[in-house]
Amino acid sequence: MATITATPGLGSRTTEGAAIRAADLLRWSLDHKVIGLQYMASSLFFFIVGGTMAMLIRWELLTPALDLMADGTQYNALMTIHGSVMIFLWIIPMMAGFGNYLVPLMLGAKDMAFPWLNAFAFWLIPPAGVLMIAGWLVGPPEAGWTSYPPLSTLFSPDGQTMWAMSLHLLGVSSILGAINFVVTIRNMRPAGMTIWKMPLFVWAVLATAIIQVLATPFLTGGLTLLILDRTAGTSFFDPGSGGDVLLWQNVFWFYSHPAVYIMILPGFGMVSEVLAVHARKPVFGYRAIGLSSMSIALVGFTVWAHHMFTSLQPALRIPFMITSMIIAVPTGIKIFSWLGTIWGGKIRFTAAMLFALGFITLFVFGGIGGIFLAAVPVDIHLHDTYFVVGHFHFVLFGGSVFLIFAGIYHWFPKMTGRRMNERLGQLHFVTTYIGTFFTFVPQHIAGALGLPRRVAMYDPAFTNINTVISLAAFLLGISSLIFMYNILRSLSHGERVGGNPWRGLTLEWATTSPPPPWNFRGDPVPFDDPYGYGSDESGPYLDAVERRFPAPEEAAGA
Amino acid sequence: MSPESLTPAELLQQRNRRTGLTIFQISWILVFVCLVIVNWQLRGNHPSWPPPGVKAPSALLPGLATLGLLASAWLARAATRSLAAGSRAAFRGQWRAALALGALFVLVIAYEWLSIPVSGIYSDVFRMMTAFHLLHALAIGLFMSMIARGVRAGRVSAQNLWPAEGATGLWYFVVVAWLLFFPVLYLI
Ligand SMILES: [Cu+2]
Repeated sequence: MATITATPGLGSRTTEGAAIRAADLLRWSLDHKVIGLQYMASSLFFFIVGGTMAMLIRWELLTPALDLMADGTQYNALMTIHGSVMIFLWIIPMMAGFGNYLVPLMLGAKDMAFPWLNAFAFWLIPPAGVLMIAGWLVGPPEAGWTSYPPLSTLFSPDGQTMWAMSLHLLGVSSILGAINFVVTIRNMRPAGMTIWKMPLFVWAVLATAIIQVLATPFLTGGLTLLILDRTAGTSFFDPGSGGDVLLWQNVFWFYSHPAVYIMILPGFGMVSEVLAVHARKPVFGYRAIGLSSMSIALVGFTVWAHHMFTSLQPALRIPFMITSMIIAVPTGIKIFSWLGTIWGGKIRFTAAMLFALGFITLFVFGGIGGIFLAAVPVDIHLHDTYFVVGHFHFVLFGGSVFLIFAGIYHWFPKMTGRRMNERLGQLHFVTTYIGTFFTFVPQHIAGALGLPRRVAMYDPAFTNINTVISLAAFLLGISSLIFMYNILRSLSHGERVGGNPWRGLTLEWATTSPPPPWNFRGDPVPFDDPYGYGSDESGPYLDAVERRFPAPEEAAGA
Repeated sequence: MSPESLTPAELLQQRNRRTGLTIFQISWILVFVCLVIVNWQLRGNHPSWPPPGVKAPSALLPGLATLGLLASAWLARAATRSLAAGSRAAFRGQWRAALALGALFVLVIAYEWLSIPVSGIYSDVFRMMTAFHLLHALAIGLFMSMIARGVRAGRVSAQNLWPAEGATGLWYFVVVAWLLFFPVLYLI
């Protein structure tokens, strides 16, 4: 078939074979869709790795004594790598995967602005993953994902240095990826795609990319000092030699609080898409959602010291408490807008929609836990307890991971041309919802009662509650296996679909599933209002899209 | 290299590269800002800076090197403009002068790094910051010398100006990063 050349320097792509095969994921490719799937596949792999570690952790915590581990040190290593893998190799790159796959399609562009840089940013991830896991060969890092000195400088073996190098690579990858998103969204919009016509997912990716560009350099700075302290004999974090132990906490949290939004904002964008499509309603308050992403990004830079209430100068506590509370306002705007979106809608309870709705309920709960912790007097009591563990797992699992699941169910048909099994999806949802609730709510209770975090052994008074948590966590493990089975099975057995199985109005649906190498044949014309569901013009438009990109069976005249 | 002679795709590519470089500069300069803040927090823990008994290095030689670096950036800019105007001879002279001044700067700072007496945290911070900057100056300086070869071979020219333009932008970055560091290391 014909060969199309697009941007200079890119070479050409044949229009044959739109489907991306598994072997393509192991090859260097400049196609943003392949790169997006590469991010997603490697992230899912690390989800299994980190999840297995979570299962081992919960097995250890079934009883107050040591069960699985030889000593507390082994436990510390396991929990350190679990946290680091889940944050830096699962959630953040998964969001980058969605962004890479969807942003050019949603804008109506042929690819990202810098395809080579895009591929390079992805290929930094596998070596980083190896460095992270291979720490076990030389003595694993033991200082937790936050790696506070002196734990990370004086007490942790060489794997800690590899951990820092791994994060260095991931930080560079994240910055390069973010530059690509900002340039793509700023420059690559075709005529007709104004910023106020951009899908909300693109807005969210833009806000996320701005955070990554401005916050990640601080991680780079901090890691450089940590590596020097560990390998070059400097003493930046050693108060005994004129250094400052709080220096790391400041620099680390100046990155890592904004990183919380790197992990959730793209998901916020996805849920807006999913809710509107599956409730057949316009998004309520489109501009308010777009702009609240931006204000979350900005205010997110002013709250980092709420992680340091117990070590901070008391006079600084109140200002950071106030900024931390303020960030609940733009978040509340979003929740309100999502509820407004589904209000009175014709809701279709697809697996994608179930996870989106489940997310709203869990995120409200998790967000309120955040308000507790933002309040200085409460935080001083709850600091370093399981309440904190329960809180951030609630917003990460009930938030980011639920949204990733919703996004996969929603866009899987676009990426593969096949729908995922809805029955298995419902089973996945029910088990995940129950598992999430009974794993992470009891953690709040145990923390409020005084169970400290990061310990392998605990007071026998906490036995029952820990058993409940562990059993619920095992249910989460099973639910994740159901999900992985559904993905693998649907790849070959899923029902074939056309270009627009959910009847969505955003541009990624106005092409074949999966899309051809340069995304669109001809120039796509965006529908006037990306969320104009139920409007008089939307019906004929969607019918036309359906006729142009039919499901294969119908094309055969069946 | 007039805009009229570019196809729409080439124009878009040029716009993308310029935006991308700007965002990279804004982002990566923050690593240097971070290290300035680190310096600031560390000195706040001591009654005086340098700490009692430690002598601050003289600002004279690195001050001169700073002026040289500024001149180098100006020359790199002039060279890129000459190349854009099609004057390869002018480019060669100006680019070489820029490289020579850059190399001089690197040598002076390397000398500073080697000659500061070891004094615990003060020299740790000093060496960390100078070395971090040196690595960037060296890498980007090497890249600039590759551009000189590219021009000689005809790969970089008025028709393909971006490598020279991009390298000049990165060299500006080295200058701005040093202007952040120099006062913190030598003046205050
Ligand atoms: Cu925070």
